[in-house]
Amino acid sequence: MHHFNNVGLYDALFVMQDTESQTLWNHLTGDAEYGPMVGRTLGPPKNLLQMNVKQALEQNKKTKVAISERAYMVDGKVIGDVSAPRGKMGVGSVPSESGRMGEAFIKTLGAEDARRPRMEIGLGIWTTKSRRFYPISTIRDRGRAFIDQIDGRSTLIYIDAETNTPAALFVDAKAARLEGNIVRMDDGSSVRDGVLINAKGASKPNSPRPDQMFTRWYGFALTFPGAEVVASK
Amino acid sequence: MKHVGLFRVAVGIAVATTLLGQRQESLPVKLPDGPAKPGFDIKRFSNLGNGWFQTFYPKKYESLRKALDRGKVSATTRLLVLETAAGRLALINDQMVFHHIAQGKAGGKDWMATF
Repeated sequence: MHHFNNVGLYDALFVMQDTESQTLWNHLTGDAEYGPMVGRTLGPPKNLLQMNVKQALEQNKKTKVAISERAYMVDGKVIGDVSAPRGKMGVGSVPSESGRMGEAFIKTLGAEDARRPRMEIGLGIWTTKSRRFYPISTIRDRGRAFIDQIDGRSTLIYIDAETNTPAALFVDAKAARLEGNIVRMDDGSSVRDGVLINAKGASKPNSPRPDQMFTRWYGFALTFPGAEVVASK
Repeated sequence: MKHVGLFRVAVGIAVATTLLGQRQESLPVKLPDGPAKPGFDIKRFSNLGNGWFQTFYPKKYESLRKALDRGKVSATTRLLVLETAAGRLALINDQMVFHHIAQGKAGGKDWMATF
């Protein structure tokens, strides 16, 4: 197994290096970018899903967890080694919508796509045929849950009520609406705690999802140049 | 090198921007002599943040249910969840803000999560 570390920035995104060959790797695509392993990929990359403990257990009771020695917060209490540096406690992964990029980051950027504000957050989706960015404002303007077509396939785009993060699921419905914490669709199916439940009430916890990432515009646009932007209607 | 199960999410940059602004020194990076993938410009690479994060190599996997019962996590603790060859595995979001990379083996297959 090669061993990877974050060693710097490129396009204002973290760059990994493996200690064995010193090759630099793109952490989003898994492609070797510079060094003897160019031409190789770690992929294909898959989705790293964001959810809370309640949702994870709802989806799969056998879920395992790996906990490091780094301190973290649970209900206001510090767990772990407090002498080790701590993460940004309690904030988790929901990025600020008004973030500003420092000069040191800007120097690493390539030619930017100015169609959207650099730091705008949204959901990026890609398939073999499509690359699409849904600004968070678009998802909110469309009721926080709606159906779109991606490569001819019905896709639910929604903001998860528990984690406040955008997500996408392949579904069979033609329309969706948010009711409290539940997304209800016109074919009788629903999404609760990130789990698709069919019209008969059966859970489909591993229902298919397109490749997706919750990201800022600059990162998605530089990784997938020419991506389609879905505007509010 | 064999392919690994690579799982990634990109939102960490927001927090990282803040953290990087708080630190002083980045370690030099020993770079190979190339080659570069077409379109990759090594002049734009910056070593900012090198040495500040430690990749997480899990020594054990435990039941999330038991971790909840023992108070190691709460129902609202945020996770990053991946599908390994041995089943679903969760990582603590707040810890990954610092590790950024986690690597391990499950069900006989390598996996790597990046944040």
